[in-house]
Amino acid sequence: MSVFMDLNITAGTDKAKLQSTIETAAHLGYSTVAINYVVEGQKKKQLIPTPQPLAELFETFPTVQGKSRPIKVLNRLTVVATDASHFRPTNEYKNFDLLAVHPKTDKLFHAACMNYDVDIICISATEPQSFHFKRSPVNGAIERGVFFEISYSAGIRDPTMKKYTITNAVNLISVCKGKNVIVASGAEAPLNLRGPYDIANLGLIFGLSEGDSKAAVSTNCRSVVLHGETRGTALGIIHTMKRPQLPTEQPEEEIPAAKKAKTDDGSLIV
Amino acid sequence: MSPELEQCPRSLLVCEKGNFKNEKSRHESQALKHSFNCRISLLIPECGRLPVMLEKVLSNFSSYFHVQDFPVSTFLEEKWLDAVKKGGFYALSSKTRIDEDNVVAVLPSGQLILSLDKDTYEQLGLEGRPSQYSHRKTVRHIVTVDLKSLVLGTKKYQRVLLCLKERVPLKTDFLFTAAGGAVSLLDLLSKQLYEECRPALHCRTLQDLLCPSLIPSDLKGESGSVTPTQFLEWLGAVSLSISCDNQATSFLSTYACPEPQSSVSQALLCTVTGLISPQDVCKLLTEIRRYLDEPKLTSWVSLTVHGCADSPVSWGSAEHGFHKGGENFYNFVCFQNQDYWLHMATGAKDACPP
Amino acid sequence: MEKKPTPYERVVCKNTSLYHYMKINLVFDSRNKSLSAEQFKQLIITGLKDLYGEVGAAFPFDVLTFNQTELSAILRVYHSSLVKLWSAITLIGSYESVSCAFRVTQVSPFLLALSGNSREMEVF
Repeated sequence: MSVFMDLNITAGTDKAKLQSTIETAAHLGYSTVAINYVVEGQKKKQLIPTPQPLAELFETFPTVQGKSRPIKVLNRLTVVATDASHFRPTNEYKNFDLLAVHPKTDKLFHAACMNYDVDIICISATEPQSFHFKRSPVNGAIERGVFFEISYSAGIRDPTMKKYTITNAVNLISVCKGKNVIVASGAEAPLNLRGPYDIANLGLIFGLSEGDSKAAVSTNCRSVVLHGETRGTALGIIHTMKRPQLPTEQPEEEIPAAKKAKTDDGSLIV
Repeated sequence: MSPELEQCPRSLLVCEKGNFKNEKSRHESQALKHSFNCRISLLIPECGRLPVMLEKVLSNFSSYFHVQDFPVSTFLEEKWLDAVKKGGFYALSSKTRIDEDNVVAVLPSGQLILSLDKDTYEQLGLEGRPSQYSHRKTVRHIVTVDLKSLVLGTKKYQRVLLCLKERVPLKTDFLFTAAGGAVSLLDLLSKQLYEECRPALHCRTLQDLLCPSLIPSDLKGESGSVTPTQFLEWLGAVSLSISCDNQATSFLSTYACPEPQSSVSQALLCTVTGLISPQDVCKLLTEIRRYLDEPKLTSWVSLTVHGCADSPVSWGSAEHGFHKGGENFYNFVCFQNQDYWLHMATGAKDACPP
Repeated sequence: MEKKPTPYERVVCKNTSLYHYMKINLVFDSRNKSLSAEQFKQLIITGLKDLYGEVGAAFPFDVLTFNQTELSAILRVYHSSLVKLWSAITLIGSYESVSCAFRVTQVSPFLLALSGNSREMEVF
C-alpha cells in the first residue's frame, strides 16, 4: 500500500475553513490532499478559476499524524459537464495538478471514459445517477488508466444523499468490479472528513473487497497522482526523469542476491 | 444483507502450555524471536506493592535512543557493522508506517530489513522479494541485507553502499537499543544528535478485583474453566479499567468477568513503555519465576508483551503487516508450579507465530 | 500444586475472537457538547438504524468504557457486525442538529491489543 490520500477537499471561499480542513486531514493520517475547484459547465461565462498559491495557504504545512513530514497539497479542477461544449481542454486546465470531469449524461460519460484527457471521472453523490454504467465505457476508462471517484461527505451531511451515494457507488462497483476506484471526501469542513481506515471499511458497504477498498484511499490515489503528472507529456505513457547512474553494474552480483532472497523466503514459511 | 459484510480479516491466536523447567521448553527462544516490543505489562494478583526484586529488573531495563533523520547507509560504516556483528543490536525506524511508508529495521541476527514502497524499491536497485501481503499489484518489496556477512571493500559491499548512499539516500527517524552489554550505543551515536530515553514505569493497585480461576493443566478451558479468548479479554478489561460486573440486561455493557471466578482483595498492574529488548523481557520472566518460587497468595502472574504495530517483522524475520490493525503481542501466565501458558496473537497480515 | 509437570501442548486458533473492539471518540466543532454514556450509545444506535433499519438498531454492542470529558469510548461488537457498526459510526454526521464526527483510533479482535498500541505512543 502507499500513503493515504484524500484527493477531494472542496476549495470553497472560506480560507480559514479550508486550512482547518487540511489540518484535520493531516491529523487523520492523510499524506496528500487535493484542493478541488469546481466549474459548473452550464453557467454561462463561468471562468476557470486559478488555484490559490499554496504558499498563501500555509507558512508551514501541518505534519501528518504519526510521521515527521508535512502534508502534500495538490490542486485539482473538476469540470461538471452537462453538454459536450463544457469540457474544453485549455491552457487554464494546466494550472492544476489533477483534472476531473463530472459527466451528467450517458453520452458525456461515454466520452469521458473513452476520450477525455482526465485523471478522474466523478460519480454523483447528491442525486440519483441519470444513466446506467455500461461495461464497455467503464472498461475503456480502466484501460486508459482513468479512475472513478466516489465522494462520501455529502452522505454524511444529508440522509437522502447517503442513499444516493451508496446506490450510485454500488452500481458503479458492480460494473467495474472494484477496479480503478478512489474514495475521497469532497469535504467542505473538518467534520466532513473521516480517517483512512474508516473509509477502507466504508468501501466494503459499496461492494469493494478488503484489498480494493484500502487501495481506494492509497494505491489507487497514487496512480491518479502519477497519471496527473504524466498527463500531457507524451500521451501519458513515457515520463523520463534524471536519476543517478550506477557505474559498477555487475550482473554476476545479481545472481547470489536472488538466490539469497529465495532462501530467506523459504526459511520464513515454517 | 450480503455475507461479505459479516466477515472480518483473519486473526490468529496460538496457545501453548509447558513447564519452564522442561529442557525442551521454548519459552525463552520464542520471547527472543519477538524483536520489537513497545510495552510490557505485568499483573500480580494479591499484591499491593511492586516487589523489590521485580522493581530492580524493571528499572534496569536498557535505555533506548531516538535519532532523527538517520541515514540508513550509516549502518554500513565500519564501527556500525562491527557493532551489529557483536549481536544484541536492535534498530527500528520510527514515525514510519508499515502499510504506507518505507520501514527499516536491523534485527539482532544482523539482518537489515528494508520494507519499501514501489518507487523507492525501483530506484534503489537492490534485489528483494514482493511483500506477502500485496493486493492486485505489488507495491511493497522487502529487501534483506545480511550485515554480518558484509565485508568492507568487497563488490557486494560497494554495491549496497552505492545504492543506499547515492541512488536512494534513505533517511528516517530511528529507535535503537542494545542488549547484553556488548554494544555501546553511546559510543556509536557519539557523532549523532540523539535523545536517550528511559522506559517509563507506571504502577497501579487495583482493589477488589474479580479474577477468573485458572487451572494450569486446562489450557483450552475444556473442563469448565475459562477459555484462552475469555482470559485474554479479561486481561484486556483489567488493563483498560473496564468494569467487569455488569448485568446481562444492562443497557450500556453486558461484559462480565468469566466464570468460574473469585475475588481478590488487591492486584498490582505495572506497565513499562518504550523500546524494550527481548533480553530484558527474558530477565523479567526469570525474576517472575523466582517470585513465584516462594509461597504466595496468588497462584499465577501474567506478563503481556506488546509488539510494535509498524515493525516489518513480528517473530524472527517473518513479515509483519498492518491491515486495519497491526496487533502482535504475547502473554505469559506463570504458575507457581513453574507451568506456564503462552498466548501469541497476530492480526490479518502476519505469519503464524513460532 | 501438581506433582508432575504438565506436558507440552500447542493449539492454533484461527479467528477465535467472537468480538471485535473499537476505541473511538466523538468530536464537535468547537466546544464539546455534554453527553451521558446512554446518550452516546443511543447516538450510535440511531446511526445503525439510519443505515441498516430496525435490524441494525437491534445489533447488540457494548460500551465497555466511556469517558465523559473526552467523549471517548471502547466498544465491543460481534465480529459479524463489525463492518456494519463501523460504517454506521463513520456516516454519523450530527447530534441534535450539531455537526459531529466519530474518530476511530483502533480496531482489533483482541481487547488486550488496545492497551498497547504503538501508534498512540509518542516515540514510535
